[in-house]
Amino acid sequence: MTRRWWPRGLRIRLLVAFVLVAVTGAGAAAWSGARSASAALVTVTERRLTEAVAGQLNALTPQLTYPPNQAALDRLRAAVGTDTLVTYRALRSAAGDHTALVSDALRDAVRSRDRLSTQRISAGGVPWLLIGTPVMVTAPDGRQTRSGIEVYAVRDLAAVEQQVDGMTRSAARTAALALPLAVLLALSAAGSVLRPVRKLRDTARRLAAGDLDARSPPRGADELADLTVTINQMAGSLQESMAGMRRMQADARRFAADASHELRTPLSTLTAVVEVLASATDGMADDARESAELAITETHRLVRLVDDLMEVSRFDGGTAQLLMEEIDLADAVRDSLRARGWAGRVDLVAPPGTRLRVDRRRLDVIVANLVGNALRHGHPPVRVRITDRPALVSIEVTDRGPGLPGHVLPQVFERFYKHDAARSRTPGSGLGLAIARENARLHGGDLTAGNADGGGARFVLHLPREDT
Amino acid sequence: MRRSWPAALALLLAGCGIQPSGVDDAGRAATGVAPGVTLYFVDDDGRLQPQLRRINRLGTISEALALLLTGPGSSGLRTEITPSGPAPIVVDPRPGLIRLMTPLAEYEVTPLGIDQIVCTALGVWVQSGGAADTRVQVTFTLASPESERHRTCPRTG
Amino acid sequence: MATILLIEDDALVRRGLQLALRRHGHAVRTADTGEDGLRELRAAEPDLVVLDVMLPGIDGFEVCRRVRSVTQVPVIMLTARGDDFDVVEGLEAGADDYVVKPARPTVLDARIRAVLRRSTDPTEGVRVHRDLRIDTAALTVSRRGEPVPLTPTELRLLLTLSRTPGRVFSRQQLLEEVWEHRYLGDSRLVDNCVQRLRVKVEADPAAPEYVQTVRGFGYRFGPV
Repeated sequence: MTRRWWPRGLRIRLLVAFVLVAVTGAGAAAWSGARSASAALVTVTERRLTEAVAGQLNALTPQLTYPPNQAALDRLRAAVGTDTLVTYRALRSAAGDHTALVSDALRDAVRSRDRLSTQRISAGGVPWLLIGTPVMVTAPDGRQTRSGIEVYAVRDLAAVEQQVDGMTRSAARTAALALPLAVLLALSAAGSVLRPVRKLRDTARRLAAGDLDARSPPRGADELADLTVTINQMAGSLQESMAGMRRMQADARRFAADASHELRTPLSTLTAVVEVLASATDGMADDARESAELAITETHRLVRLVDDLMEVSRFDGGTAQLLMEEIDLADAVRDSLRARGWAGRVDLVAPPGTRLRVDRRRLDVIVANLVGNALRHGHPPVRVRITDRPALVSIEVTDRGPGLPGHVLPQVFERFYKHDAARSRTPGSGLGLAIARENARLHGGDLTAGNADGGGARFVLHLPREDT
Repeated sequence: MRRSWPAALALLLAGCGIQPSGVDDAGRAATGVAPGVTLYFVDDDGRLQPQLRRINRLGTISEALALLLTGPGSSGLRTEITPSGPAPIVVDPRPGLIRLMTPLAEYEVTPLGIDQIVCTALGVWVQSGGAADTRVQVTFTLASPESERHRTCPRTG
Repeated sequence: MATILLIEDDALVRRGLQLALRRHGHAVRTADTGEDGLRELRAAEPDLVVLDVMLPGIDGFEVCRRVRSVTQVPVIMLTARGDDFDVVEGLEAGADDYVVKPARPTVLDARIRAVLRRSTDPTEGVRVHRDLRIDTAALTVSRRGEPVPLTPTELRLLLTLSRTPGRVFSRQQLLEEVWEHRYLGDSRLVDNCVQRLRVKVEADPAAPEYVQTVRGFGYRFGPV
């Protein structure tokens, strides 16, 4: 797992990047300023110290006894000041606690270069300047030879360092001052960049949620404006095709509704006359009687099919209405079973006193369909079990038949779906389960299909309690 | 890599202090010690000759000129400066130009004598660390264009 | 054997139903428009009207209202479907029952007979409840001496409820007893009939004294 420390939000990323750049820039500027200022300060201080030593030496040397004795060396050392070491061959004059700091490198330089030399060192956390010079003998014509006198001075640079530190601190303060300023600038910049982005996101979200009227007005002429225009165009064409599809769907539904409505008038006549026909079969020949009976059966089937089609059109058209009343669920189911003569063939397991507000007719349609299917396609015992829970009441219908094959399950609620050819001759319209599920959903509930543990199909109707 | 930059920043801030350095050249070495002072006199051929007076130190220009005025002693050299009482030569050394105010009138000293004075003063000047191209102005008690000349020592250029 | 007035605009449906109802032993008069039907009502004085709600000219609801304004003859509506607006509007117009098209003649016949039984089912005695006097033999109702005209269905409902004052009847029980819907009757039949009954017998229909609602269960007859 890689640790994600780079922030996710676009806003915070912009902010961080902006602040980083600003603070780094300010810091670099302040730092380099402080750096060159302190370098200059150090240089000036070193030159001042060096020139002081050289000046003091040059002021005294013409009066100095040469070759020098100890007293002459002491005089020279005293003229240069404290922390000074003067040597001449074996003679040596030193004062101060820090002459031991004089480095071999400096001594080598003094002895080999015949020049004034300096070196910065750090000792005990304090910076020091080492100054070393040979004292030369100059001939009147300018030629120089070594006199053998060497002078070393050790000078404390702590004061300079304090000044340098002060400059550094003030540089850091300056850079720090840039921070709140950078945050403010970054916030306003991020806001101006992100406001259109956020607007666009809101629009996209509304589009995704199905509000195809959502648009964002493009502003300016940047990439974001292009994107906005593109998204608006996309929403527009989406809206158009959706509207077209809806029109077609509505047309198809209206056609189905109109067609079934128109079928009802001839069916009314047929329904009326086939019963007359049925009551007159006694004197008929066998084939004529059978034909009459077939006409009756098929007429009734046709009536059911048209009824179911009209019911489906009502669901599709959103005109299906709930006629809610509070009933005892066990009684209602029992009535449904008894009315169809199924009471003796079905086990009803129900806790007494389960009351619920439902549309009684629609509940009857669901129960009749589920139990009818179980009796037709499954094996006994068919069982209806009502489970009463605080928020939900379930009615489970199970049988002991072969159950529903896996490939059938996702399609079982589809209209006119019949999963085996034999079923196509059964009295159902092929719309029963679809209507049952629509009825369940109209109640705010649902109907699910599956298989019971011991085999056999299992349909469960969930009905929510209204007051929860 | 990103986590290393706070360390770099710390280093950067620390870099603002005074860092140790190697040995740097800081200019010309001290000078000015000498076993004696060089005075200029004139030999028989009329040329300037240096004469080292071992006084165990270089001394000042004034001291050198005072010694010059005392003459060459018994060295076979002569001086072309007329001795004139105890008044000393006033020396006013400035960068680039050394002014010597003599208690002499122009006629009391020959051009060669003036060279003696100029070379002796310049010699001490150079020996004590002064620039070799420094000019010397010798002024006399009586007004004369000679007093305004900026001179060099013919021996050293 | 009853005389039935069938008002239906489609000639073939009208003829088919006429044939079927005749087979069930009814005398059937027919009309193809509402105006025609109202004329026929006055001329033939049928025992019952079977009325299609979809009529050209004045529609079935209006025909029902006009029938109700002149006579208490029972009306059965033929509607498109049980849960349509038709049902509510038809019941409010004063229909006693309805049958969904396409109507099976056996079902229609059963409803017809049930409705007719309500007006020919006398029992014994007179019940007096405060201002209300119910003569169960003559099948008349009067309030403070004023006769109250009730349709057979309203009368049957009042008789059923008042037989055991204080007993609560569920809508389903009432549908079975009054409308003889053995299974899954439309409870709106009961509710609408109760409304109409209250208007006729109660002093203040909004605060009923005789036909009381028991919330969540049904109705009972008061005062208790």
